[in-house]
Amino acid sequence: MFFKKTLSDPWVIFPFLIFLVFLSPLLVVLSSLLGNYSDNWTHLVTYVLDSYIYNSIFLVLGVSVISLALGVGTAWVISNYNFSGRRLFDWALILPLAVPPYILAYTFTGLFDSFGSANNLVREIFSLNPNYIFFPNIRNIFGAIIVFSFTLYPYIYLATRMALINQSRSILEVGKTLGLNNLGIVFKLVLPMIRPAIVAGLMLVIMETLSDFGAVEHFAIPTFTTGIFRTWYGLYDLQTAMQLSSLLLIFVTFFIFLERLSRKNLSYTSGAPVYGEMTQIKLKGFKNIFASFICFIPLFIGFILPILELLNWAINYKLDFFNEEFIKNSVNTIYLAILAALFCTLLSLIINFSIRLKNNKFLPYMSSSLTLGYAIPGLILAIGIMQIFNFLDNYIFYSYFNFIITGSIIGLIIAYIIKAYALSNSVIESGFLRVSPFMDDIAKTLNASNFKLLKSIHLPLLKTSFLTSIILVISEVIKELPATLILRPFNFDTLAVSTYIYASEERMFEAAAPSIAIVLVGLVPIYFLTKTIRTSRPGKRLEDVKN
Amino acid sequence: MLKEIKFSSFFLLIILSSELIFASEVNLYTSRHYDTDDVLYQEFTDQSGIKVNVISAKGKALVEKLKSEGDRSPADIFITVDAGNLWKLQKDGFFQSIESSKIKSIVPKRLRGPNDEWVGLAKRSRVLFYNPENVSKEELKNLSYEDLSNPIWKGRIAIRSSNNLYNQSLVASLIAHNGVKETEKWAKSFVSNFARKPQGNDRAQIMAVANGEADIAIANSYYIGLMLSGKKGSEQKNAAQKVGLHFPNQLGRGTHINISGAGILKSSKNKENAEKLIEFLLSKYAQSHIVNNTYEYPIISEVQPNFYILKFGESFKEDQLSVSNYGEFNPAAVKLMDRVGWE
Repeated sequence: MFFKKTLSDPWVIFPFLIFLVFLSPLLVVLSSLLGNYSDNWTHLVTYVLDSYIYNSIFLVLGVSVISLALGVGTAWVISNYNFSGRRLFDWALILPLAVPPYILAYTFTGLFDSFGSANNLVREIFSLNPNYIFFPNIRNIFGAIIVFSFTLYPYIYLATRMALINQSRSILEVGKTLGLNNLGIVFKLVLPMIRPAIVAGLMLVIMETLSDFGAVEHFAIPTFTTGIFRTWYGLYDLQTAMQLSSLLLIFVTFFIFLERLSRKNLSYTSGAPVYGEMTQIKLKGFKNIFASFICFIPLFIGFILPILELLNWAINYKLDFFNEEFIKNSVNTIYLAILAALFCTLLSLIINFSIRLKNNKFLPYMSSSLTLGYAIPGLILAIGIMQIFNFLDNYIFYSYFNFIITGSIIGLIIAYIIKAYALSNSVIESGFLRVSPFMDDIAKTLNASNFKLLKSIHLPLLKTSFLTSIILVISEVIKELPATLILRPFNFDTLAVSTYIYASEERMFEAAAPSIAIVLVGLVPIYFLTKTIRTSRPGKRLEDVKN
Repeated sequence: MLKEIKFSSFFLLIILSSELIFASEVNLYTSRHYDTDDVLYQEFTDQSGIKVNVISAKGKALVEKLKSEGDRSPADIFITVDAGNLWKLQKDGFFQSIESSKIKSIVPKRLRGPNDEWVGLAKRSRVLFYNPENVSKEELKNLSYEDLSNPIWKGRIAIRSSNNLYNQSLVASLIAHNGVKETEKWAKSFVSNFARKPQGNDRAQIMAVANGEADIAIANSYYIGLMLSGKKGSEQKNAAQKVGLHFPNQLGRGTHINISGAGILKSSKNKENAEKLIEFLLSKYAQSHIVNNTYEYPIISEVQPNFYILKFGESFKEDQLSVSNYGEFNPAAVKLMDRVGWE
């Protein structure tokens, strides 16, 4: 009876089917664990594995601490205070998201190496000895921590800011009347309320730090990920590389499920469906300058500084990038990014809606495992995706088409969704958590269909989450490289591909112009969508309710 | 619902348009990412009417792509800058023999696969760059790779990380010549002579020598051409003018050589066109285009290396070891570098 009912329910079946399709590349990677274990394992364990693990853990801890401080700190200041430049910082603080970590790493070495631009500048200004080196060496794990923190903190900033925008003012006022001081309100009410959002943002930061290859490779830090690629490229052993990736996946899974368990019995919805307007405290004098300074630092290091160095390279070495090819690549990039962002967001909306609707025990875990695509190195995931696609092409679509998924736009978009589902899910999921289940009950008593509930009640309340998800996926797709490289059709380039073609040989001067273009293209959606987010507080819906 | 139908029909249109088949074409997977190669392919199309379709990506990723596509792969030619990848595909039986006698007469045996599965398109040597102010003529005289383990070089050598392919090939060639045991002993002392933690690309090593951070650097020959040409900016040009180039092992077996190479895949549906493209890439026109843009060494003797490369010596003795060995000994080389702590 139960199974029959479950299996015929489209709100269970659809997520389940999607689950199978999307999880299969991860299963390809995980299936390596069942295969043979080569002699290379003995070598890895004896000589290098411990340093890979140690460096990765140290890196993740460092990045977590700094990106939490940056992300939560700036979101808090922006949400609660009014100061000079606040309106600008509100959206500009997301900009570092447009800079891929490896590009920040390249510009950092360009600036801070012994004979980099920044050191040269200091020597020139103070007429110092040519051997004088002002900035410390950044080609080490501390440099990598800085690079990841300042490019990835926007995930935490966005999640926190969104949660703070949506938090119920009435709860804070109740807190005040119950005699809590400001600190008490922060630690007893605000932080517990926005905790799921912060943790979701932090998980994204951790996953991307663990899966990144470019930046750590550039700084020559032996991490778990560089180890995976060294095993594949150097030892010619993809099997062991996949086994290493599987271990990474299991490690991340453990954390995701731990986080899920920890919030199992807590409810994060607020009582009131309509909110009062939030007001910010106006800052003056030193406090005003200090608040602006706090917001300026991450923006400067994560965005302005690398852009200045890229501009410096582009102007000095190669400016003739604005040609037909460039426009074609930009169009390809934007087109793919928008399609992938729409599909990905709709998908996580539907899956999370099903989870909410069905109260099925299996569905939430399913959704979590879909987010794992974000945690393995992009190229390993791309290999898994490619093998599944080729399997489908060779055995299922073979009689009808010649390579329908591999080397087509469809394949690319599916790959992007698998990669970016975690981004979309994190915001949609925490968005749903804040919508009171009472509304669903009311809708049900009014005989609204599930579809109507989603469309007319949840979707308007989730507008902020929806738009944020679109921004995150767009900025991810614009930067995405490994899957694009091996799954794209012939003669098809995106901006990230043309950057890679230069950056792969560290020809960063030539890569500068397309890098700037990636950032510029990413800027457009970020600007418009954050503007919409700012005005999308559910409180605004008051007028709609009246109508 | 209507929207979904619109979307799916939109997709169908994209697939159909990407399925359009050109009258005559050749499909290329390449891990050589040089703008100037695109110019060559365009020239080939203009001359022959054969369209060149390109997918460029990392060599190892392309190898996996070929493997998973199997017999139905659309690729005709695989081009890479690493002899190791060519060896791996050849060993796994992905290539077919190149039949063109023209190609075989041009490319020397040691720069081809055992059964002509692949051929070299351009050569690069891994050489020593030195700062004439800090390295004496005495020290340089007859200097070999092996000599760099001598304690007189303590704190004076710059080289990039052992993750780098070119370093792996160099160590693989040392293993092929001297055996693992000897090479490991050498590598241990060699690593203890490093001036700094391995970092940056080959050009960064040359810069370090010019700036005095190190006295001697190991890097590929063509980088100095790139730097001297001014294409990398005045700073690199000035640095390059301060350093000298030394070809190691001239008294013995000769300097380490690696290749950019191409092979024709078994699954190729356009073999004739594929051979035509490789013949074209070995033509006088294409070879001089390559040497004057990437500063590599030519395969054919009618073409001379670029001026900026030629000025370091008209000719030098090349290591005659078959480049197939690099792939075979690559895993052993990487493990050896792990053991001696070469980061």
